[in-house]
Order: sequence, then C-alpha cells, then structure tokens
Amino acid sequence: MRLPRFYAKKRGHRRTGSREWGVVGDGVFHATLLLAGLCFGGLLVSGVAAPEWRINHEFRETTGTILAKGLAKTTMADPPATVITHWRPCLLVRYSANGVVHESWSQGPTATTTSDREVALRRLAGWTLGDETVCWYDPEAPKTVVLQRGYNWWLWLLSLLLPGALVLIGGTGLVRALRAWGKSEEHRAASAGITELLDPLAQPTLAAPGYPAVPACDDLVNSPGTVLRYRLPIESPESWTLVGFGLFALLWNAVVVVLAVGAGLDLLGGRIDWWLFALLVPFVGVGIAGVTLFIRSLVFATAVGPTQLEISDHPLLPGGRYDVFLAQGGTGTFQTLTLSLELEEQATFRQGTDTRTEQLVVWNQPVAAFHDVGAAPHSRFETRAIVDLPADAMHSFTSAHNAVRWRLVVRGSPERWPEFCRTFPVVVFPRGFASPESASPPAVVRVRTASEEVSP
Amino acid sequence: MTSALDREPSKPRIELQFDRPHRQHEPRDQLAVRYRIEGCDGEHIRAIEHSVLWYTEGKGEEDLGVHFFQRITDRTMMPPTAITGAFSTPLPQSPLSYEGVIVKVRWCVRVRLFFDGSRDFVSEHVFDVGQIPPARMPVARA
Repeated sequence: MRLPRFYAKKRGHRRTGSREWGVVGDGVFHATLLLAGLCFGGLLVSGVAAPEWRINHEFRETTGTILAKGLAKTTMADPPATVITHWRPCLLVRYSANGVVHESWSQGPTATTTSDREVALRRLAGWTLGDETVCWYDPEAPKTVVLQRGYNWWLWLLSLLLPGALVLIGGTGLVRALRAWGKSEEHRAASAGITELLDPLAQPTLAAPGYPAVPACDDLVNSPGTVLRYRLPIESPESWTLVGFGLFALLWNAVVVVLAVGAGLDLLGGRIDWWLFALLVPFVGVGIAGVTLFIRSLVFATAVGPTQLEISDHPLLPGGRYDVFLAQGGTGTFQTLTLSLELEEQATFRQGTDTRTEQLVVWNQPVAAFHDVGAAPHSRFETRAIVDLPADAMHSFTSAHNAVRWRLVVRGSPERWPEFCRTFPVVVFPRGFASPESASPPAVVRVRTASEEVSP
Repeated sequence: MTSALDREPSKPRIELQFDRPHRQHEPRDQLAVRYRIEGCDGEHIRAIEHSVLWYTEGKGEEDLGVHFFQRITDRTMMPPTAITGAFSTPLPQSPLSYEGVIVKVRWCVRVRLFFDGSRDFVSEHVFDVGQIPPARMPVARA
C-alpha cells in the first residue's frame, strides 16, 4: 500500500499540496471539532441540565417547616487582584422523607445565586420562619431538599447552542471529508444532493436556467423604465464609500461617547483619570475626522445628482443593438459626461491567509460622450444612445471564484466636484438565446473549487 | 529479478480522438470521443472515469463544472479485456471557451484510470466550445 504524496504537481511548474493529505487534515480537524462538541455537550448536560431535570422529574414532594434562614457565600478569585462574591439564599427545613424526619439546608437552582447581597437578602425576606411549605427531596439522597423547582432556560440554551454548533460544524465537515475520500474531483463535482448542503458557501451565483455558469438576470429586469423597457440598477462605488464612512463615523463616535460619559462621571465624582482623558483626545479627533469625511461624501453624492440608465432589452446578445436612455440630475455644469460599455474580468484568489479579488477591464467601447453639459434641479440632462455589442462577444460568466462581467459605465467630471463613476451591470447571454421561458432545462452541472492535481 | 512490490509503477498512455477535426465544437453539438489505453503493463485497473467538464484558469482559484460523468467498474469494459472505449454527450449552451487576461475558461475531456491501491492516472484533452476571440490586453484608463 502506497501512502499519498505530500506534494503533487499542478499545471505548469507549480507544486502544491497533495489533495489526499488535504482531505486527511480536513477530516482530522473536523473530527476534533466533533469530539470537542460531544465532550463539552456531555459535560454541560451531566453538570447542569441533568441535575435540573432530576429536580423537576425525580424529586418527591413533601411538606416542610422553615427552621432557619441565611445566605451562602461563595468567593471566587478574579485575577489580578480582586475577588467576586456570590450570595445564595438558603433555608433550613425540617421535613419527612419515607417516614424519617430530616433537617437540611435547602439547595436550589443556581438561578437564585446573585452577586448582589441586597438582592439575596430581599429574596430571603420572602420566607418566614416557622412557615409550612412544599418542598422536594431527592429519593436517592433524602438529605437533599429544594424549595423551588423550574428550569434555567439560559443554561439549557447555552448547553445546547455551543456544543451543538461544534457538533454541527465538525459533523458536516467530517461527512464532507469522508465523502471526498478516494473520489476524483470530477466525481465529487458530479455528485448531487447532500454535497451542496454540506458546503453552501462554495456555491456560485444562481445561474440562468439552461445556461450553466451564465448569471441569472432576474434582478436586472424587475424594474420597468420610464422611457425604455428596463431601468438598470446602479452599482456605485461612491455609495459604498458613503456607507463605509457613515458606519465608521457612527461606530467610532459611539465608542467616544461611552468613553466621554465615563470621563464625565469621574469628573462629577471629583476624580480625574488622566489616562482616560489622554485616550479621549485622539479618539475625539478621529471621531471628528470621520464625521467630516462622511458629511463631505454625503454632500458630494447629493450634489452630483442621480444617474438613471434605461435599456430597450435585456439580457443582451452578441451582435445585438440596444437603445439606451441616460438621464443625469444635479446642478451646475458637467465638463464631460461619458457612457461606455465595458467587459471586466474578476478573479478571487488566496494569498497566504487572505482572500483577494482582482478586477481588470479587458475591453472598453465608448458609446457616447458629452461636453459642458448643464443640469438643473428641475431639468435634468437626458439623452439617448445606441449600444452595439460585438458579434463575437463573450457572454457573462460567473463561477465560485471567477467572473466575466459586462457593464455600462457613466463617468462625469462636474465643475467644483471630483470626478464620479457609476456602473450599471448588464448580462450578456450566448447567441441562440430566445427568452427565459423558452430555454431548455439545464444540463447536469455542478460547480466546485478544484483542488486535485492533473497529471500532464 | 524484480518483485511486484518494488517494481516501478507503469506509465499509462491514453490516445484520445475527437469526432471533429481541430477539436472545435459549437454549443449543443454532439461530442463523441474514442480512446485507447496503452502501457498499463499488467497493472490491475479497478475503475475508469469518463468526464466532460469546463474549468477556469488564470489568477483566481480554479472552478470546475462537470457536464458529463461516467464511472465504469465493469471489468469486461477495461484493460486487459478491452483497451479501447468511447462515449458521447451533447454539449450545453454555455459556458463558451474563453481566453481572457486573468480569467480563462477551458473545456476538456478527462479519462481517469484507478489502479489498485490509491494510485490513479488522468489524461486530459482540451477542446473548444464556441469561437470567442482572445481578450485584448487591459485598457489603459485615461
């Protein structure tokens, strides 16, 4: 029997890890997660859930008399130099179990434990010495008695959630590794069914029916235009920049407010924490800068005005001719306003532990260009143009890590403002496409990331 | 004298022939191939896999889409009983072969032999679907 090689040859002269050892490593990792989940779950169930379940189901009911009451104190070290104290109300109860009279301090669910002594005392005040009360004792250890029953749902949730997640991730990963063992990459990719469920993140974008690896364009044709048939959705980098600046400003200044409130309370209490104040100064500076950037981006986005693009048909076909309607809002003059058709390639790859995406425009066709365009709040700039798609154009393509995308791009250089660029994605189908309704059923195609090597 | 255990593994060869010249096909064409296995030198083959698939090449991680897959375990259909084989499948409408700058899409036929133990051998034969010209070099932004 031959052990799998640690290194296998890839295309060209590159060498990469062996798929077999990769599967072994993946399997061991997920088996460890599964084992950890089972052990952790077992400990939580036996230590927390089972005792509580026994109190509620196996302890026997009886009547007892409260003889004394007090607080049980538990102290735990909290490094570096403090301790945490917990208080639990306890009652000395006299009760009869199987004809034998016992006197025992009650034990209850840990939910009655609190770190606030006053709260524990208030809970204790609800019990009166000499009162008769219902209690439950353990038939296997009659000295154990409780005065309250019930479930602590947080503990149950914790005991199920964390080990459950470990078991789920470890189990699915292990099943995936076992299913992959000994199979070729073609076999794995062609296997239908559970594989998709086991690795949902590796699935590519939804493909058009009957056209494998061609993205569906349902989201691009659900908005009717005012002049032409479809209004194209915008994909504006400036919008994402604005959202990014806004989120940063919000989160950062929330931290600043928390720090400032702490410093203010200290001041009111007559204390001055110089370290906190020293930390607060640069934080406030960054917070102000974040808000300034956000407001600047917001003003820029609103000052330029919205761009609207409509098209006479969609999806596009190679060799097709399409009418396009462009409308640009805003105030002032645009020194240039251009519309172009672009083909962009996108590749996602791993570099060390990072996942990177590279985009490259490999084809660009100017559609229309305008100079010294004037726009006003109540009279936007409107024009129509013709887009010709080359007869030998590549169709839109998308897979898990690679894509070929078509888009219409509007670029403008307004006076007094920086240049802007707004993109409108379109989908190009291969020649022969009639309509989504008449497309034939899809061929059996499964997309997977290839990791196995190919012998030359 | 060399025992079976320390003998060098054989170097199989698979000669594959497409039904069309220049390996040029159009979407929805019927793809038919014949192949011949040589050089197994008595090594026991336990399975043969036929597949027609596309894969990506270039800067990104490799993606793969299997259009046709067939696994043969019938011993009467593999060497030494039979050293030739054939299969055919209609091609889908997409994706078309594409020679981009950082993304390339290639179609191929693979015949994979599984020998006793964990060893396998794959023979890959690239063909074209459609006639998309190669992408030009990146456009320089003004």
